Amino acid sequence: MATTQSHQLQVLTPMSGSPRQLIDTKVTVETPEGVDFQFRIAGPGLRASAWLTDQLVKVLIVAGVLLLFVLLAYAFELEFSFPEITSGFAMFSWFVVDWFYGGLAEGLFDGQTFGKRKLQLRVVRTNGTPVDLLSAIGRNFLRTADFLPIAFSGGLLVMICTRRMQRLGDLFFDTMVIEERRLTVSRPAQLLSKVERLQRSECRHRFQVPDRTLSVIERLFDPARAISDARREEIAAPLGNALEQYMGFEEAGPDPDNPYQYFQKRGLRHTRFLLRTMKTFSLTDEDQQDTTAASPQEGRKHQSRPVGDSE
Amino acid sequence: MNRERYIRLRRDDWAQYEKLLHRLQYTREGQWLAKDVSLMARLYRSICFDLSLVQSREWGSQLEDYLNQLVARGHNFLYRSPRGSVLPSLSFLTTGFPRLLRQHFYALMLSTLLFAGPLLACTFLAAVFPEQTAYLVDQEVLQQSIEMFSPSEYRRDGQNFFSERSYMFGFYVNNNTGIAFRAFSLGALAGLGTAYVLVSNGISIGLTQGSMLAVGGQTRNNFFSFVITHGALELTAIVIAGAAGFVLAQGIVVPGNRSRLDALQYSGRQALRIALGAGAMLLAAAFVEAYFSPSQIPPAAKYLTGAVTWALVLSWLAFSGRGGSSDES
Repeated sequence: MATTQSHQLQVLTPMSGSPRQLIDTKVTVETPEGVDFQFRIAGPGLRASAWLTDQLVKVLIVAGVLLLFVLLAYAFELEFSFPEITSGFAMFSWFVVDWFYGGLAEGLFDGQTFGKRKLQLRVVRTNGTPVDLLSAIGRNFLRTADFLPIAFSGGLLVMICTRRMQRLGDLFFDTMVIEERRLTVSRPAQLLSKVERLQRSECRHRFQVPDRTLSVIERLFDPARAISDARREEIAAPLGNALEQYMGFEEAGPDPDNPYQYFQKRGLRHTRFLLRTMKTFSLTDEDQQDTTAASPQEGRKHQSRPVGDSE
Repeated sequence: MNRERYIRLRRDDWAQYEKLLHRLQYTREGQWLAKDVSLMARLYRSICFDLSLVQSREWGSQLEDYLNQLVARGHNFLYRSPRGSVLPSLSFLTTGFPRLLRQHFYALMLSTLLFAGPLLACTFLAAVFPEQTAYLVDQEVLQQSIEMFSPSEYRRDGQNFFSERSYMFGFYVNNNTGIAFRAFSLGALAGLGTAYVLVSNGISIGLTQGSMLAVGGQTRNNFFSFVITHGALELTAIVIAGAAGFVLAQGIVVPGNRSRLDALQYSGRQALRIALGAGAMLLAAAFVEAYFSPSQIPPAAKYLTGAVTWALVLSWLAFSGRGGSSDES
């Protein structure tokens, strides 16, 4: 009896054995140590807004340089502060900034222009190592080709067709743009605080859950996944049922004093059961408090910082 | 071992790794301590192991994400390419660049053909049938450039010369180098963009040149003494940038023995180096065009320097760096 039940649980573990090729924006890179790790690829929207920011920065740089130029000319009372010279200098500096700003910034500041840093994007090579100067300049030069026929539609088309969402410049210079930000709140503490732990007395068979099942539950409540409550309940139902059977869990019936509450909660019953399981067997809240030194939150705080700009 | 016990056992290492990584990232390489470096290597490897363990046991996406992020940062930190220099090395400009260019002889020939062909044809056309040019170019623009070189206009007073020429310097850099870089990068569209840039510029230069021939007299003399010197650098640089575009296209159209993606990346780096060399040439050309070409020295002197410059540029491209070993990018 017990073996068949555990078999049921095995079946419910998603994708056991199959390679984890999900349809999402993650790209796997293998390290020389033989470990796979993943990058999240930045989509066109984020990259477009980084580009817009960078356009603004370019204009500001040229304006700043020009202002400095004019001020210096006046300060030293140079005779040649004619409008011709200034506009010639403006064209020259616009040329330099327009063609080289992106490449130099990415090449020298570890794959980030100002706009990319603001949006927490980074250019890396497709093997995950930092981009070199030549490739950075090249991928920015090819933006001209990606722009065609109008407003980057060519580049967008190429991005849609490639797995790493690379535009032509990325393809030619072996780079990709990754997203480094994490907007996820850590594990739904507010969700867990609403439920109470499972009691030993509630479970007739056993009081334990396999680690893999726990991780499935954790994924179900991953804040990065937007699932409606109703849909989550639908997904939770088979797993909840199997798990209840496995543990011999029996929910207490309606409280005779306040039966209304029982039936109110009945709607998301499986979700609630899985949350209780998670609260009981997964890392406890106290654990999370005292592991702040090594907890994911701490990692995120560091991660948002730029990597190599101290040099 | 169960999940919580594992985390409890390992989290000190993780915290230490994070602190160490952060510290090393924000100090210069020269100041790293030997013990920090070896500790870093040890911790990185152990965290790689942690990640693969957590992956294989499916111990939750959060933990996996966290370790994944640790490994990604460490990987980015440990495996890097040598820092490139901002300035092109002198040896690249003197020998490496002509050598690289000669390696891509066919691209260079194609580019020369597409630029010089329309140029010569249109020169002939405009010189022999001046009235037919109306179909090809805006007459007003053409008239303007002819007037610019007419004896009455061409005289320049010395006082405004410097500032006016500085304006033109900015204009030449922006316009000409921009054309060259565009010719290069549009090569990514299987070479079609490059061909368009080359042919259209060949046509417009040819028509101007032919019209000058047709007008004749002092105007013609002014024009050709003006263009001959910087033309040596400018026209060759445009052709070279076109060649860079075709090298780029080579990755798409004829990948050869490589997979297409490999071919793209190989041709990308080669082509970019060629294009940057062409950019440097155009910078020099803009300087000559702005300050030397319109100067008041007699035309004969300009023709002489022009001839010398052409000879120098062509022999630099044809002979410099021969016999040495070719350097790979």
